Amino acid sequence: MRPFNFLALLLFTAGLVWVFTLSEDAVRQVQKTYYSSIGPMISRGAKAEKFAHDFIQEVEHSSDLKKQLEQSQRERDRFKLIASRVRELEGENNELRSALSFQKQTEFDVIASRVIRRQPHIWNSTIEINRGAGEGMGVSLCVLASNGGLVGRVSLPGDNTSSVLLITDEESQVPARVEGTPEVGLIVGQRTAHGESPKLRLTYLSKNAILKKGMNVYTDGRGKLFPANIPIGTIDKFEAGPVYGDAEITPAVAFNNLKTVFVITDVTGD
Amino acid sequence: MLSYIVSLIGLLLLSCIVQQFLPPIAPWYGARVLVLPLVVLCGSATVSTAGMLVLAFLGGFLWDSQHIIQHPTLNPAVFAPPSDSLKFGYSIILYAFMGFLMQGIRPLFQEGKWYLSAGLTGVAIFLYLFAEHLLRSFVRGSLGFDNGIINQIGMTSLFTMLASPVVFWMLYRIADLCGQEISD
Repeated sequence: MRPFNFLALLLFTAGLVWVFTLSEDAVRQVQKTYYSSIGPMISRGAKAEKFAHDFIQEVEHSSDLKKQLEQSQRERDRFKLIASRVRELEGENNELRSALSFQKQTEFDVIASRVIRRQPHIWNSTIEINRGAGEGMGVSLCVLASNGGLVGRVSLPGDNTSSVLLITDEESQVPARVEGTPEVGLIVGQRTAHGESPKLRLTYLSKNAILKKGMNVYTDGRGKLFPANIPIGTIDKFEAGPVYGDAEITPAVAFNNLKTVFVITDVTGD
Repeated sequence: MLSYIVSLIGLLLLSCIVQQFLPPIAPWYGARVLVLPLVVLCGSATVSTAGMLVLAFLGGFLWDSQHIIQHPTLNPAVFAPPSDSLKFGYSIILYAFMGFLMQGIRPLFQEGKWYLSAGLTGVAIFLYLFAEHLLRSFVRGSLGFDNGIINQIGMTSLFTMLASPVVFWMLYRIADLCGQEISD
């Protein structure tokens, strides 16, 4: 080995030791700096993506309309189109109304946020939202969907955007209880193949638990990471193990269709 | 040489931004084009061992800054031990391994056979993702392999490999501008 390469390898090893011995706070600071630098690009990227999507839809829409005009069904089709647009707007309006009503009804102080990116990581289940530290986002703040179901927690707040770790991720843990029973356990995410609906697993239940399909599962506030009584999902099936019992849970939130989420800014659970 | 390395670092930073604009390709098992690892791999074929180590270090550092998830301090009486996370910096080691792999056929690249290096980027990305999946499975204590995972890794490697001629073309252009000879 040439002396220069040996020196480079030594420096590389020293750098590696430095990185591996960074404290959690230092790593968090590095990541915060990274996200703060890249945050504006993510926001612009999301806007550009939406613009491109709208443009493509508009182009498709226009060419369809032209064909229909040529078939002398102009008026009828135009009204059909308007009706469909009205239905679309109605749906959007209902969604916004439900979001607004959730924000008004909820017992927590929440900040409404728009999902700007889904699944930016290869392995982890995360989303990015359009609120950052400047708007009150902080590490581990609890995130809800407009139906009140638990979405996850803020894992990394940047200046303008934040990353949210979904409860469907394998690294997520949520203390939970089963309604109407003394059973408590930990909700963890499950690895699912691409395209499959995400599932959750409720672990550390007693092996003799009597659980039925459809029973509701809520957060129980232990550990103070999530407030109590937030809906997580419903029991799908229960499996008794040699020591503990596990239950498969269908989430209360449609994770594939998240558009608006609410971040709780006053954690008073437990 | 120095100006070329500095330009490569600039390209690496640029690839971090470009990566943000590349969504998963849903019909192809959620495959992605991994631009940042690709720049590290293609760059590794064009520089000396020392330069490759610099690229691997910076690339891994940036990658982990974006991908590692930090957990808050949790009450051990309630939560299971948080043994399920990889340490910040693990990507640096994986990138260095992949970089050494690319360096192995650098003599062929220097002879002008860039297409062999381009093919090797696909293999390297496959090995990198496979190793990453194994590491994650190992620390989580559950080794799971299904067709979905294999297809996702395979398709990601394929799409990334298909993008490698573009990166090599850019590297040739940068080398020309910097007066650096990277191959015959």
